[in-house]
Amino acid sequence: MKKFKAYWVFGLLGILLILLVPILLATSQAAEAQTKRDPWAGVPTHPVHVSHADIIQGPFETPQDVTRNCLSCHPDAAKEVMATSHWTWTSQPFNVPWRDQPVTIGKYNQINNFCIGAMGNQKACTACHIGYGWQETDDFFGQAYDFTREENVDCLVCHAQSGYAKGSYGNPKQGVDLLAAARSVGLPSRQNCGSCHFNGGGGNNVKHGDLSQQLIYPSPEDDVHMGGANLLCTDCHVTENHQIKGRLVADNYVINPEEQVSCTQCHDPAPHDDQRLNEHTKAVACQTCHIPYMATEDPTKMVWDWSTAGQNLSDNHFFYLKIKGSFQYESNVRPVYLWFNGNLEYRYLLGDKIDPTKPTYINKPAGSIHDPQAKIFPFKVHRARQPYDTVYNYLLSPITAGPGGYWSEFNWDQAFRLAEQRTGLKYSGSYGFTETLMFWPTTHMVQPAENALQCADCHSENGRLDWEALGYPGDPMRWGGRQLP
Amino acid sequence: MNLLFRTHRSLLFVILGLLLLVVSAGLAQAKPATAVADTQVSPLHPTFPLLDDQGINVLESGRPISTMKTCGQCHDTAYIVEHNFHADLGLSDYQAHAGALDAGIGFGRWNPLTYRYLSQAGDSQFDLTTPEWLMRFGERVPGGGPATTARDGRPLTRLRPDPSNPETALVDPKTGKTTAWDWNKSGVMELNCFLCHLEQPDLQARAAEIRAGRFGWANTATLQTLGLVSQSDGSWTYNPDAFDESGVLKPEYVRLQDPTNANCAACHGAVHTDLQTPLVYTGVSLTDYQTATTGQIISPQKIMLSGMNIQGKNEMNYAFDIHAERALKCTDCHYSLNNPAQAQRLSQSNPAHLTYDPRRLEIGEYLLRPNHNFARGQSAQFNIAPELKGTMRRCDSCHNAATAHRDWLPYWERHMAVLDCESCHIPKMVAPAIQAYDWTVITLTGEPLVQYRGVQGDPNAIESLVTGFRPVLLQRTNVDGETSLTTYNLITAWYWVYEDKGNLRPVRLLDLQKVYLKNGHYAPDVVQAFDSNGDGILSEVELRLDSEAKVALVRSKLEALGLQNPRIEGQVMPFSINHNVVDGKAAVGECRACHNAESQVTAAMTLSTYLPGGVKPTFADYTNVVYDGNLVVTEDGALEYQPDNSKRGLYVFGHNRLAWLDGLGAFFFVGTLLGVFGHGTLRILAARRRPKQPIRTERVYMYHPYERFWHWLQMAAIVLLLFTGLIIHRPDIFGVFSFRGVVLVHNGIALILAINALLSIFWHLTSGEIRQYIPRPRGFIDDAIEQAKYYIRGIFKGEPHPFAKRPEKKLNPLQQVTYIGLLNVLLPLQGLTGILMWGVQKVPALANFLGGLPVLAPIHSLIAWLFAAFIVAHVYLTTTGVTPLESIRAMITGWEEVEVHEEHR
Repeated sequence: MKKFKAYWVFGLLGILLILLVPILLATSQAAEAQTKRDPWAGVPTHPVHVSHADIIQGPFETPQDVTRNCLSCHPDAAKEVMATSHWTWTSQPFNVPWRDQPVTIGKYNQINNFCIGAMGNQKACTACHIGYGWQETDDFFGQAYDFTREENVDCLVCHAQSGYAKGSYGNPKQGVDLLAAARSVGLPSRQNCGSCHFNGGGGNNVKHGDLSQQLIYPSPEDDVHMGGANLLCTDCHVTENHQIKGRLVADNYVINPEEQVSCTQCHDPAPHDDQRLNEHTKAVACQTCHIPYMATEDPTKMVWDWSTAGQNLSDNHFFYLKIKGSFQYESNVRPVYLWFNGNLEYRYLLGDKIDPTKPTYINKPAGSIHDPQAKIFPFKVHRARQPYDTVYNYLLSPITAGPGGYWSEFNWDQAFRLAEQRTGLKYSGSYGFTETLMFWPTTHMVQPAENALQCADCHSENGRLDWEALGYPGDPMRWGGRQLP
Repeated sequence: MNLLFRTHRSLLFVILGLLLLVVSAGLAQAKPATAVADTQVSPLHPTFPLLDDQGINVLESGRPISTMKTCGQCHDTAYIVEHNFHADLGLSDYQAHAGALDAGIGFGRWNPLTYRYLSQAGDSQFDLTTPEWLMRFGERVPGGGPATTARDGRPLTRLRPDPSNPETALVDPKTGKTTAWDWNKSGVMELNCFLCHLEQPDLQARAAEIRAGRFGWANTATLQTLGLVSQSDGSWTYNPDAFDESGVLKPEYVRLQDPTNANCAACHGAVHTDLQTPLVYTGVSLTDYQTATTGQIISPQKIMLSGMNIQGKNEMNYAFDIHAERALKCTDCHYSLNNPAQAQRLSQSNPAHLTYDPRRLEIGEYLLRPNHNFARGQSAQFNIAPELKGTMRRCDSCHNAATAHRDWLPYWERHMAVLDCESCHIPKMVAPAIQAYDWTVITLTGEPLVQYRGVQGDPNAIESLVTGFRPVLLQRTNVDGETSLTTYNLITAWYWVYEDKGNLRPVRLLDLQKVYLKNGHYAPDVVQAFDSNGDGILSEVELRLDSEAKVALVRSKLEALGLQNPRIEGQVMPFSINHNVVDGKAAVGECRACHNAESQVTAAMTLSTYLPGGVKPTFADYTNVVYDGNLVVTEDGALEYQPDNSKRGLYVFGHNRLAWLDGLGAFFFVGTLLGVFGHGTLRILAARRRPKQPIRTERVYMYHPYERFWHWLQMAAIVLLLFTGLIIHRPDIFGVFSFRGVVLVHNGIALILAINALLSIFWHLTSGEIRQYIPRPRGFIDDAIEQAKYYIRGIFKGEPHPFAKRPEKKLNPLQQVTYIGLLNVLLPLQGLTGILMWGVQKVPALANFLGGLPVLAPIHSLIAWLFAAFIVAHVYLTTTGVTPLESIRAMITGWEEVEVHEEHR
């Protein structure tokens, strides 16, 4: 009997196989369309953070006490932090064609066209340094600050979830309850990162245009990632051993793509259902279409004229401050579009000669229509009139916030003379103001897909791309795209 | 003439030389200068003097610009006017129609929407004379044709002013008196090149001239925005600063360009090109004719980002028109027919082996004589230049339907054959459109009662909710004679007609006003008859002609005006919808949108909420549309158009079915079920009453493994086919299954069943087992009767089967005849109808020869019912073995206990 059963079971299986295979084929064909990568697969899972409320016992006299307490359990944390540019405020050395020696770039030793330079202005500037007590010294580059002292690492600025703020020289503000702050530690939130990065340039959204306090509690229309999907900064800026992924091109020269954040960390390189749109990804960065406007709510500073500073006009954060000069802010700013391969073609280095009759590029994104790595990318362009030495023809980095600086004395000449001692850059005694340009990549505040640019935003009579300026003979829709070797 | 030609030639050389220069300069320069484009729209267009109709520079003469003379300095304007249906507007087809109203669009055809009738010579009273026609509709007349030429082909200026000639008369709307019109005084309206070739023609200044009857100045006024002319005290003066010393236009004033979408929009409908400004379209006005009649809006803007109050717009993450979104211009499809870049007509006459004919007009030849007949489609409503229908690019000139659909759409070829692309790719209009025009009554302002579709409330109010509407699908007869379903709006108009010397004429608006109005108010007798609530005011509802008394009153008043035999007529007019195409994501892609009890293929369209005068309208007879449905007055008195697939020769699976046939099938099935149930109950009862008798049995090896395999595979396949077939037949009941998946599974299983059947035939033939099915020729009837008697009587008495079941003779006579029917008739027939239905896309001719799907599908359904009935009986009869489950066990294991019969028959 057993033998019979075996037989017909095989028959049954055969019949099932014959019938089920086509059924499965037919149904799987229907499901085939879903082959795109799931963006959520690229988002790191957040470990549950252990509450430190009961672990940390005071009392803390100084902030350094807090750090020492942290290090007692996390012995490598300070070393890791001190290896990052959050601590060093400067980049790795680069070989640049216009200098014989390798150079580093950062707030440590270079200038921008906002508050210009941190050198000698540590009192105010190092409020955003991830350490304690970086003060001016009489030496060049503030060398006397001991960058090797682990207890000066400020753990709280990134990890404290309540009751913490930094003040002069990077020390905690008066009245901060160090014990309470230390007990509140957790994973860095948008507010932690934003406490410095949303306020760059001296106020909310001043510098970047795509990083503002609206990202602390964002709506999907503010930022589809942080508002729509409630992502944290560190979900894209993936962090390992306190090394945070992502480099700002303004303070670098060449960036290793491995160290850079990209949309394709999570998104398929050809994410659209529309073949025509996917074709665009060869020449157009995601940001170009998906961030049609920056500073969608809080305005960003577009123009800063230092030459008008020092007058007794009525102060207004958005128009004029005696210490800083006059400004222009804009919101819903349409970016400027350039070919960009992720690097810089030029970064102004302290001492570089300028032509004061022409605008000086503080930085200039690298890339052209002939560069296969380059894509059309959106930028905020910040224009400034800032001081330069009319004899030596280079930009000057004044003492502003520092002792005897411009912000207290309103004396440019003194500000430059004091700076000479700190930066080592000779000051001839005569100064003027010249126009400078600085480019900031627009990459945050990505909009929901339905708000992305449409064909006619670029491919029309009054489109936002200047095809000829980008190197095309005309609109590539009609003239054809770029031909790469 | 020769000299003229030479001038043309030399000018051409100059243009070509310039072109060459600019191109080479552009190539030489790495970064071409862009500044030029900002100051001058047409850098290649040479400067030129403006000439009047005598060929004299207008700076000298101060007379209106003649486009024919001015543009004719280089371009062959005579050719352009002759090859230009926008200029002709149907004048060349003008016929004085005696009998019926010649409805339609074009000069001399009567359009029930614009209502006014262009009077013919000999009419006893004039409605619209040619001058008034031009004043009234001239804003949408580009010039030339009827604006310069009389109906007999003479120039209008040669006509003698004569109040009795409808071409040279004007009716005073107040007094009804007719006065003579002097075309030489008013001037005529030459074809206005500037209207389409300037970025911003001054439409308002032009319209003002036209409305005032100063036709001669209309084209000149168009240039006001350029700063070339200005108006003071009603007269036009030229701006001397715009010209150089020699009287030639300065280059910065030469702003000629190719026509843009906005140029076309000036006459055709709502076009919106600015992405930054939210689109707001309100009002349904015949000045936006295409939009008003169809709801079409040409805009690249996403509907969700528009400023309109559209229902559910947050879900509409797609543009109003995908082609506008993809930066196509009107002229990309509606191109000049001799544009060398398009040149489609040439290639249509190519020899079979030639896919591309590179011989084209040179650009200079084209610029000399650009054909201004533009490629056009096959719309129902526009009957101007019918000889050019279908010259346009159609969807399939650019799109490959196969690559777009074959991956996911089962029977895509069939879908493409029956449906035009629009059917699925224009799923919904998102602007209001006209539904009905009721001219049987008039409002105080002399307007008809208008109904709109796609909007709740007043279409002119921005806060009204635009609900949009789904176009109705009608069968269109294409220029190639094929028919396919396409998208339409249906507009119904009702109006009074009367007979003028035996000729049918619409009652003049003037006469309607006399009937209904008195001193700017409704006439007292009208109020008395119409005012049902007695408040002295006639609401829109009260105004309707919804009773015989109202109709009689109006009729008698019309008769009192001397109109012969006044009566109400109505007409349903189809308006093609071919724009507002959406891409695949937004298109109808859900099978069950059509393959369901409620099907979009047959979705009805409301024509009117009431029947004016109780008159059922007729269908417009001038279109290429087949009226494949029924006019139905619903319970609430509304008029509806209901498409009817049986009139179309269509059979939509999941939607269409023959009720009587399903009833018949169900009757068989249920009958068998009841029979089996009754028989079985009786058997059980009989067996209970009967003492258990031992039956002598023996175990025999009844079924070969292949037989069992074949049987069970067939069983499973048929059950699955019945099941999937039922879902395809009634998707409204079995909604959980994917229609598309079920169709694919059904076809796949059918293929397996067919292969299984063919293999088994082979096996039965080669093994000789086929003999089992062949009845003994002699005594078969007797045997069959004996077997039947057994089922009727013997089985209840516990008698043994009349015929022993043996491996070499498994089937009793009844089984033999049943299986012959089943396996040789029903199964092949089912397979054949199935294959033909599948093949309707591959070899439609064969299926159509047999009546197409409307015949094949019902046969297929009926046989399916019979199969289902058979299975019930078959399964039941397997229980008649030694024990109820013995036969089934045998079909599984091969071994069966069978009765031992003394004698083998």
